[in-house]
Amino acid sequence: MAANGSRTLAPRLALWVLLPLGIVAGLGLLLQWMTSQGIGFFDWYFYFEVLITGLLLGVQYSLVALGFVLIFKASGVFNFAQGSMVLFAALTFVGLLENGVHILLALPATLLVMWILAVLVERVVLRRLVNQEQIILFMATIGIFYLLEGGGQLIWGSQVRELNIGLPSGRIELFGGAILVQKFELVTAAIAGILVAVLAIFFNKTRIGRALRAVADDHQAALSVGIPLTSIWVIVWTVAGIVALVAGVTWGTSLGVQPTLALIALKALPVLILGGFTSIPGAIVGGLIIGAGEQVGEVFFGSLVGGAIQDWFAYMLAMVFLLFRPQGLFGERIIERV
Amino acid sequence: MVDAAQIATAERLAERSRRFGPPLLSVDHISLSFGGVKALRDISFDIRQHEIRAIIGPNGAGKTSMLNVINGFYHPQEGTITYKGRERRAMRPHQAAKQGIARTFQNVALFKGMSTLDNIMTGRLLKMRNVRAPETGIVGLDPLLRFGANAIDFALQALYWGPNQKEEARHRAFCEEIIDFLEIQAIRRTPVGKLPYGLQKRVELARALAMEPELLLLDEPMAGMNVEEKEDMCRFVLDVNDEFGTTIALIEHDMGVVMDISDRVVVLDYGRKLADGTPDEVRSDQAVIDAYLGVAH
Repeated sequence: MAANGSRTLAPRLALWVLLPLGIVAGLGLLLQWMTSQGIGFFDWYFYFEVLITGLLLGVQYSLVALGFVLIFKASGVFNFAQGSMVLFAALTFVGLLENGVHILLALPATLLVMWILAVLVERVVLRRLVNQEQIILFMATIGIFYLLEGGGQLIWGSQVRELNIGLPSGRIELFGGAILVQKFELVTAAIAGILVAVLAIFFNKTRIGRALRAVADDHQAALSVGIPLTSIWVIVWTVAGIVALVAGVTWGTSLGVQPTLALIALKALPVLILGGFTSIPGAIVGGLIIGAGEQVGEVFFGSLVGGAIQDWFAYMLAMVFLLFRPQGLFGERIIERV
Repeated sequence: MVDAAQIATAERLAERSRRFGPPLLSVDHISLSFGGVKALRDISFDIRQHEIRAIIGPNGAGKTSMLNVINGFYHPQEGTITYKGRERRAMRPHQAAKQGIARTFQNVALFKGMSTLDNIMTGRLLKMRNVRAPETGIVGLDPLLRFGANAIDFALQALYWGPNQKEEARHRAFCEEIIDFLEIQAIRRTPVGKLPYGLQKRVELARALAMEPELLLLDEPMAGMNVEEKEDMCRFVLDVNDEFGTTIALIEHDMGVVMDISDRVVVLDYGRKLADGTPDEVRSDQAVIDAYLGVAH
């Protein structure tokens, strides 16, 4: 298997680099041809600007998807509550800021709250459901979703709030102003990149990472080799909480902190299906594809079908993937002995 | 002829019994019930160092429950467990693992998505720690030191630097020894979900051995195997016992196997202890024969 892996690595890498470039170029040429036939409009600079905006938006989708992947990877549970964790983290953060807490204090305080949340989830819910069917754990996370969504609004109120933590605003001009990129989106992408790198190391290089993967596979076996299930769960939910906070802050900055934030989780679903539920890089690539796809679709093809492509593009793509590659781009192959 | 064989067996047992140490584990008056179902009633027996101890009995006798009590999956309502001289009501699974109790399961509990090697490496998780906090005994300081040590350890692992690299290599080498020992070199990189049942059982044994256990609990290690696989497994169990001096408690339905490899046998039926003794004593015990063959009413 190892030899096999290294033999196919080079062509695979080439595939991963060339295929996206090919698709981007092909789509551009198609649009150019369509314009020459008098359908729609096209300009290469504008095309790339839309593409870049889409990719950066995609990074924000990835951040939400990442939280799902973490918990799925480490406990095999699809955590329905991830969206409300994003909302809860953002609400707590904004609530503290509004009450005059300095940002350097509010940030660790919010992290502390997310840790307490993780401990509570483990104590009250997960500990009682050890070794249960995964559908039961999934139902439990639906309960947590409503609890957090309602609880967060009960404590901090439900009006829309502005969140400004001094992330740079304004635009960068490339190619003499032909392409404009939002600074804020660049910063978000950088943060996401760092987060992913840290998490990848955490999962693949550390003892805890191996323990996490073990717990995801089999509770009983994990216990028998001496992995303390309970502390592993607390760690995972805390990390998912941290990711939720980052997602909450970036989404909150661009949309305002409001209850609908919990629903951006729905946009993370197609990202997960594309990337694979168990893959951290998958969450990123999936987000990029969906972000770029829906922006380009909306701007260049929207007028052809009467617009609103942005609303369904992601789900259509996910459906196609479910038909042809249900494990996603990077997901673990589903192995079943018959 | 028969006599000669019996004498040989007796000699082998006598020879082996000289190596047994004091009891490593003893359970006293254990009772366990789930609601109205009494799984175990007042069970007492001990397992001596270096011996191979079999637990047998018809289906539903409480054998697996007994193992689950020993490694902390179940907490009995009554009775005590004395392990390495320390008496306690119940164990916690990860404590039991830390104290050197490893086990395999009746229905193979492996990490199916991981390779054979990764599965075995999880058995080393408890041993992997290169930065240890000193024990000062000062209240409040110890947890702080432990936290600090963990943080440093974590950073070293994340960077894959310094002592960590050597440490990982050392554990890997240990696992390779076990792989050689159990003759599973060829499937090192195969995801265990793809392996046939007999090999999965062997990987599970390998993972348990990676923990360097003092007490190894085997729940029907030969169930569902063909004759050849059973013979291999018997050989491994005996070799583990001989070479590593590991104490073994096993549940098994194949009476031939049980009588051949075990030093002492405890018989359970409907949660009660029926008999306890050498294979020969148990074989000729009337209560045991009745339980297995049924009794005319």
